[in-house]
Amino acid sequence: MRYATLAATFVLAVSGPPEGGRDIRIVEASAQKAAPKPPTEADWTAIARLPDFTGVWEIGFGAPAGRGGAPAGRGRAGGPPAGPQLTPAYAEKRRANLAKGAEDNPTANCLPPGMPGIMGQPYPMEFLLTPGLVTIVIEAYSQVRHIYTDGRPLPDDPDPRFFGTSVGRWDNGTLVAETVGFSPQTDLDRGTPHSDRMRIVERFRLADPDTMSIETTITDPDALTAPYTTTRTLRRHRTWTLAEYICEENNRNFVDQNGKAGININK
Amino acid sequence: MRIWWFRGLVIASLAITGAELSAHHSFAVFDMTQEKIVTGVVSKFEWTNPHTFIFVDVPNDKGAIDSWAIEGMSPNYLGRRGWSKKSVKPGDKITVTVRPLKDGKSGGMFVRALLDGKTMLQTGQPADQQ
Repeated sequence: MRYATLAATFVLAVSGPPEGGRDIRIVEASAQKAAPKPPTEADWTAIARLPDFTGVWEIGFGAPAGRGGAPAGRGRAGGPPAGPQLTPAYAEKRRANLAKGAEDNPTANCLPPGMPGIMGQPYPMEFLLTPGLVTIVIEAYSQVRHIYTDGRPLPDDPDPRFFGTSVGRWDNGTLVAETVGFSPQTDLDRGTPHSDRMRIVERFRLADPDTMSIETTITDPDALTAPYTTTRTLRRHRTWTLAEYICEENNRNFVDQNGKAGININK
Repeated sequence: MRIWWFRGLVIASLAITGAELSAHHSFAVFDMTQEKIVTGVVSKFEWTNPHTFIFVDVPNDKGAIDSWAIEGMSPNYLGRRGWSKKSVKPGDKITVTVRPLKDGKSGGMFVRALLDGKTMLQTGQPADQQ
């Protein structure tokens, strides 16, 4: 019976809508976008005038790492308070999430953290500059981000993605990337969700020939009462190459649905 | 030169602690307030992502052998800090300092190790910064 149903469905699919089905909307792929122009020699030459981001970079020890900034409530005396300034509703979401006492998060099961956490890993990343595009190859979890610098606008209604959707522009030697449209599975900060209005602006620049500064500002009118800015410092390692990172290769750690962490130590 | 001596213990430990926390998993299964030293013979070295594992046969007080599983940083991380897949080999005599598993099973998180009484293995600093 199951096979008969399957076969009928297939016939329907290949033969189009049945009689009387004129009001059925057919959703199918169509070429709606103009193809971008192929890069010219001048486009490639222009790359050489941009700051040299090539090569492999890693967050330096001793610099602000991880998710950046000091834990909430531990700002320097007299300075601005550190950590994201949450609206009451999102402060409550954070409190409730942390109160669950999860011992780990889904990265223990090899789910990549997405933005912004993926930019704070203790593994290197490589920057590739090509006409109209900056590609960031991230070793942790073997991830790739694309920042389109060809002048296209951000989408009005982006699909939610772990990395969001990014466009960028070069501003006097600084790559300014704007990103919108994040998966609800990514966190704004530890235990802190974001709304679908979260926006991330990253400013990438060379502080000196082998030091990159990435200033990251998160805004979210539902979750934050003020922009949340952190800065990471990366060092270029000219002798390094990226390695593969297949998290499922031999992952003995896990976290279960109740937030209980575990480890499989069987030989 | 097979000795990787340690530099700036406290700073490096803190940095690695913070780094590993944001990398893959938390320290929840390990007792980070304890250090335990185990001595035995390596039976297996897994040079794999997301973590390396050293398995060590350790005699227990009942005259039997416990197999200890010791989790270290990844081959990517350690490979840039002087290690290789041959840094630890089956048959090596090893004394490992670990943060033991909270559940009392024979395992822990790698802190440092002395191999054959002469080679100190540490998680360390990148090779191009020494």
